Amino acid sequence: MADTYSSQELLAIVLARDLADGEVLRVGVAMPVVEAAVRLAHLLHGPNMELIFFGARMNVAHLHTVPLPAFAWDRRVVRWAESYSDTGHRFDRLKDWHNHVFFIGGIQVDPYGNTNLIGTGPDYHRLRFRGPGSVGTATLSTHVGRYYIVLNSHSRRTFVERCDYISAYGWGTGGADARRRLGLPGGGPRYCLTPLCVLDFTPESKRMRLHSLHPGVSAAEVQAHTGFPLIIPDHLPVTAPPTAEELETLRTRVDPQGLLRR
Amino acid sequence: MRPIVAEKERRQRIIDEVAAASWVTDGMTIAVGAPAPMALLRQLIRRGVKQLTVIDSGLSLDMLIAAGCVRKVISYYAGGGFGVPVVPSFRRAAERGEIEVWECEEGILTAGLQAAAQSLPFLPWRGGVGTSLPEVNPDLKLFSDPIQGETLIAVPPIKPDLALLHAATADAYGNVQHYGGPGWIDLFLHRAADRTIVQVERVVANEDIRRDPWATTIAGADAIVRAPYGAHPFSSRGFYVQDNVHVREYLDAATAAAQHDQPQRLAYYLNYYCREPVTHGDYLERIGVKRLLALYEY
Repeated sequence: MADTYSSQELLAIVLARDLADGEVLRVGVAMPVVEAAVRLAHLLHGPNMELIFFGARMNVAHLHTVPLPAFAWDRRVVRWAESYSDTGHRFDRLKDWHNHVFFIGGIQVDPYGNTNLIGTGPDYHRLRFRGPGSVGTATLSTHVGRYYIVLNSHSRRTFVERCDYISAYGWGTGGADARRRLGLPGGGPRYCLTPLCVLDFTPESKRMRLHSLHPGVSAAEVQAHTGFPLIIPDHLPVTAPPTAEELETLRTRVDPQGLLRR
Repeated sequence: MRPIVAEKERRQRIIDEVAAASWVTDGMTIAVGAPAPMALLRQLIRRGVKQLTVIDSGLSLDMLIAAGCVRKVISYYAGGGFGVPVVPSFRRAAERGEIEVWECEEGILTAGLQAAAQSLPFLPWRGGVGTSLPEVNPDLKLFSDPIQGETLIAVPPIKPDLALLHAATADAYGNVQHYGGPGWIDLFLHRAADRTIVQVERVVANEDIRRDPWATTIAGADAIVRAPYGAHPFSSRGFYVQDNVHVREYLDAATAAAQHDQPQRLAYYLNYYCREPVTHGDYLERIGVKRLLALYEY
């Protein structure tokens, strides 16, 4: 076990552990933790993963290093692409996306994993904070087999009882059949990862529940930074810290520049 | 405009960036491809075109808003990279109600463009069911499909008057070929638009096009504009990478204007790079040969 690591490094490693070989991993814009996690999983245990960065689909398991790009469409990334999805057929074969995994951020997240990238404030026409927009999250969250909500901060501003607007539907107002009732084929959000903890959703109510606490974090601390009551199970494990192999692979083969340590 | 006298030769479609920009008039709906056709967009800013409805995302959208060209935005994403979650001029204008936002999403946008291309009153889309999108954008209608009774979104046609695109090469007759495939949703934009103007890095001979007709991505653009380095400061596949220093310069200036009420640098940027250079060549002189050549390296 390594003794020091950054919170973003831990998130990337925890996320990488949950990705399985053979899956198709769709990475959106501006998510360095996710970009690191999919590369790490690919190198450690996923030689048959397909990594799709903004439409550039690649398998780079044969490379010794797969460093993080400085910019999304950087040719240091896209030169490894075997195909692109932007040749006029975006969102093709949605019927097969049950094997696809997606990652989503949010300005707000509610207890049922609904997320908001539109903005905040009661009046849509005069938002207090105008967000970037939904990107492709409404469509991807509808169709992929599962997705992860990955956040760089854990605060009451982000974790709210109700999102002002919902741009990606998680579990709606709760219930295991919430998505099926709406005809949404995808499997919904699996985990929400933050610098403090990993959260999941109970099988019945699909309400957010503490899944594991990162080393040194207490449940009370997480609850204090969350704007709604979390379900806190009796047995609450500590997130397994990075192993030496995970950390070394991350630092020498994925993030040699230390972007996740800044 | 059909000429009264029959023409003897096939009409060539090459025009310069100044003439191309005059196709855009106040109040039009324009669609901007990726990479953004900056030589054309700078001419729009130079001409002071107003009240546009713009289908675009990211930094080129932000620049058009900063320059006062935009009334309404059809955008699925207005982030800027570089740790800029929301591009500054878009954010400020939207929060103040100075621009209208037609809230959408990538899948919804492509459905709307496809509906326009196929002259359909709408196309159904599933992504967005359960979200706030149909509430904040009343043009998106939830409906029950007549075959299986599922709830879907009816996306109305999104029909640009003009698509403005950037590509690698074209011949004089509007046959466009990309290096490394067309950009983001460029073909959707072209299919939906009434007319398409493509600026290209190089104009090539018709023989070069015919050597590999399968590589032709846009058959018959309405006008071709020769614009080497025309996507600068953004990247152009097979030609140059993004000029990050220049992009940073714009972002800093736009952020100072939007968030700190210090509009001087942004005004300087827009004047120096967009309004004063009469032609694309004049713009490139201001960027400088050394900087441009350096963009081949990374």
